[in-house]
Amino acid sequence: MSIHLTEEQALIGQSAREFAKEYLDPIAVELDHSSQYPTAVVKALADHDFLGLFLPSEFGGAEAGFVSLVEVIENLSRSSAAVASILINHSIAAYAIQRWGKADQKKAYLPALAAGKTLGAFAVFEHGPTPGVGPDALQATQQPEGWVLKGTKAFVRNAGVADLYVVLACTDPAAGGKAMAAFIIDAKASGLTVGAPFDTMGLKGCPVADLVFDNVIVPATAMLGGLTEGQAIITETLAVASIAEAAQTVGIGQAAVEHAAAYAKTRVQFGRPVSTLQAIQTLLAETATDCHLARLGLHEAALLLEQGKPFQVEAAMVQQFLARFGAKMLVDTVQVEGGFGYSEFMPLPRLFRDIAGTTLLEAPADYPDQTIATALLA
Amino acid sequence: MAGIFIFSEDPALAQQLLTPGLELKQALAQSLVALTVNPEEAANLAALGADRVLVLKSDQATPEALAPAIAELLAKEAASVVLVGGTLRGKHLAAYVAASLKAGLTTDAKTLGIAEGRLATSRILYAGLAICDEVVELPAVATVPPRTFLAPAWAGGAGVVETVDLKADARVTVLSVTPVDGEGVDITAAIKLVAVGRGFAKQEDLGLARELGTALKAELACTRGVAEDEHWLPIERYIGISGKTVKPELYLAVGLSGQVQHMVGCRESKVIVAVNNDERAPIFEAADYGIVGDLYTVLPLLTAALKN
Amino acid sequence: MPKLLVCYKWVLDEQDIKVRPDDLSLDSSRAKGKISDFDRNAIEAASLLVEAQGGTVDALSYGTPAVKLSVKDVLSRGPNALKWIGDPEADKADAFVIANVLAAAIRRDGPYDLILCGEGSSDMFYQQTPARLAALLGLPCVTFVSKLSLEGDVLTATRKLGDSTEEVRVTGPAVVSVLSEIHKPRIPSLKQVLGAAKKPNEEIAVGSLGLSAEDLKPRAVRKSPRGFLMNRKNVIFKESDAAANVAKLVSSLAAEGLR
Repeated sequence: MSIHLTEEQALIGQSAREFAKEYLDPIAVELDHSSQYPTAVVKALADHDFLGLFLPSEFGGAEAGFVSLVEVIENLSRSSAAVASILINHSIAAYAIQRWGKADQKKAYLPALAAGKTLGAFAVFEHGPTPGVGPDALQATQQPEGWVLKGTKAFVRNAGVADLYVVLACTDPAAGGKAMAAFIIDAKASGLTVGAPFDTMGLKGCPVADLVFDNVIVPATAMLGGLTEGQAIITETLAVASIAEAAQTVGIGQAAVEHAAAYAKTRVQFGRPVSTLQAIQTLLAETATDCHLARLGLHEAALLLEQGKPFQVEAAMVQQFLARFGAKMLVDTVQVEGGFGYSEFMPLPRLFRDIAGTTLLEAPADYPDQTIATALLA
Repeated sequence: MAGIFIFSEDPALAQQLLTPGLELKQALAQSLVALTVNPEEAANLAALGADRVLVLKSDQATPEALAPAIAELLAKEAASVVLVGGTLRGKHLAAYVAASLKAGLTTDAKTLGIAEGRLATSRILYAGLAICDEVVELPAVATVPPRTFLAPAWAGGAGVVETVDLKADARVTVLSVTPVDGEGVDITAAIKLVAVGRGFAKQEDLGLARELGTALKAELACTRGVAEDEHWLPIERYIGISGKTVKPELYLAVGLSGQVQHMVGCRESKVIVAVNNDERAPIFEAADYGIVGDLYTVLPLLTAALKN
Repeated sequence: MPKLLVCYKWVLDEQDIKVRPDDLSLDSSRAKGKISDFDRNAIEAASLLVEAQGGTVDALSYGTPAVKLSVKDVLSRGPNALKWIGDPEADKADAFVIANVLAAAIRRDGPYDLILCGEGSSDMFYQQTPARLAALLGLPCVTFVSKLSLEGDVLTATRKLGDSTEEVRVTGPAVVSVLSEIHKPRIPSLKQVLGAAKKPNEEIAVGSLGLSAEDLKPRAVRKSPRGFLMNRKNVIFKESDAAANVAKLVSSLAAEGLR
């Protein structure tokens, strides 16, 4: 347990670990095979207040803060990173509404999100270039009847199971990134359809699909934040997501290193356990170190976020670190486990596919460098 | 202070307690007294070495109900050591008696002796991870698990049998007693055991283990999960920290991982064999022989090979 | 409204205790504390009883000063209030001392309508505290309970005793020990964790309980524990040919005279 955690944060982490053992361990393998959205588990997440974790208590949230959020995500991810993905995507949608919502929007949406009565999703990516760079695949135009959305958002997690989407759309193709705006869209809105599910490499069970908007009409009150605030919403929300995903990566890495260490103690080669081999010890020690340092870094970023201080640079540094060392944790632990570890009946292949998702998705490789360098060179 | 006292409501266990009782009698030069609620056992206990046998007569014979009266009797007798058979009822009685006598109590003593005028015992801690010596001031109480000792072989004793009237504690009313499952198998007496765990996918598949058991002339045992969660086998066949403790000649563990809470119940077996598909399972560390492989493949082959 | 008490022990997690291979001594330097497993079942049983029919649950623990670490943990699992006794001498305490201290605290803050304990602690597993408490407090005692109901002051319980089960009835107050199967302990929700800080907890100084030096002197003294040494042959057959593995095992069994 890290010394900087409060008693509550440590207990929340412990509670999440108990939760994961009870609800996630029994389904994690099956979820990976079937990709079937785990409805009952998400209900259990709601019952344990995880879906309203950081939301203010006035809206029914637990108001436990972002350090608790990353503790929960790491501990869930040790058992099933896919379930953590569902929680993360819900959480960043809720974050955006809490951060940029007007009073009546918060009152309308946050209590149900906090209670888990509605599941949220954050829809930002597109098939083409990065949103805001243009040309944008989802356009919103102002008409007398309201905003009309037309186009497609891609790779939307929780697509098809979410009850509401926070959607980023371009309101002026000529202005590009300066004209991004966010909208809160009901999943049942007329003209909105969910594309065929993507069969992803890992994180299976957290649905991913396109959202197709065929002239979806929403009132002006559906806009989240100002007309030109979309880019800021994207940047900050993805920075929050990156902290959560770093916790997910650390959880997967922790599970891998624990499994590999236990395996190395029992696997006998050349008449002794492989754990006595220097090469194996080095692989395990490096993985454990990367995991530990990433955890410290992401806890600090989460604490800054919790305290309302600038956190983007620190979040980007963690992301940058894990872009280099995250997937390596699985490369090295699979190597520890050798031929057995590579078999699909062992857990590391699933963790490997999952960590590819948490270190690659929603974290374009150039983005953290830019944030850090810009801050350094300013 | 005088007297080494033994008690168990289980006749076999009561006889086993006489063995350490006789050693303590030697070491302390005190008489050995057996308390019993089974009048028909009195002669046996006297023959096996008890100097006195006190037959406890009351309207309710459970050890728990007699605990206050037994405690009073032992205080009056100024018992120096009290050994109680380590059944659950016995443990309840022993703790009550120890508190009444302001005495220390070793639970599940594996060894018993006298060192520097105190009762020296050993027992396990941390769910079997460790063993610990414990030294208890006299008067001292200890519970002793079944089959820790063999009953004395010599049966030429001529102890006196007395009857004592005790008043049972009537505050707890026993509404009914139901024997568990009625299968009546005592797996602690089996010479060979085939133990099954959650590696079996369904109850019917235990047939594979039964066939192997028949080929080996072994009884079937199981883990806590199989008995308490799945209810595939009766509880009396469950081995582990809160189940049965066995020490057969052969313990053949199939499809069980070998967690310490289970192993503590079987680790004194003479030979342990494991069949498991997970090479990392701790059972292999605890096994003399093992096969890494799918039990659904291995068991039929093993059964066939043993029949030949 | 019944007033319940549940006793628990804050123990080292045995999973974190390592055996040093050179001298078999135990290394618990990195072991974390936890609420003893079986006591969680007792906490759950007590909490469910009052959640169903009203009343309150106090929790009570005696241990080293580290027991303070359990305050919010235990209060997040249902009890309404906590009394705890942190005593540097507690790591030497035997069940005699533990029961004396708990009984004195119960006399101070009781009487309680029902006192619940776990079957035994997951470190020492003495299984003595419930019956000792009953003896010291002059209460009836029902041990090894797998099912429990309380109506007014009448307690009905199912005891599991290995070879038999027993239905019993007792008019409270009484001491009860529960088996792990009675209820699965809850996993505290975030609000329950965060709510724990708002519940009262009180430290009781062991010196304030009026116990004599004799009451606090362990009757059973533990010597240094040593790791259990697994001494097995570890001959493992793991060829891909299952029949070959079986043949080797059968000849090994024959060599052991166990065929």
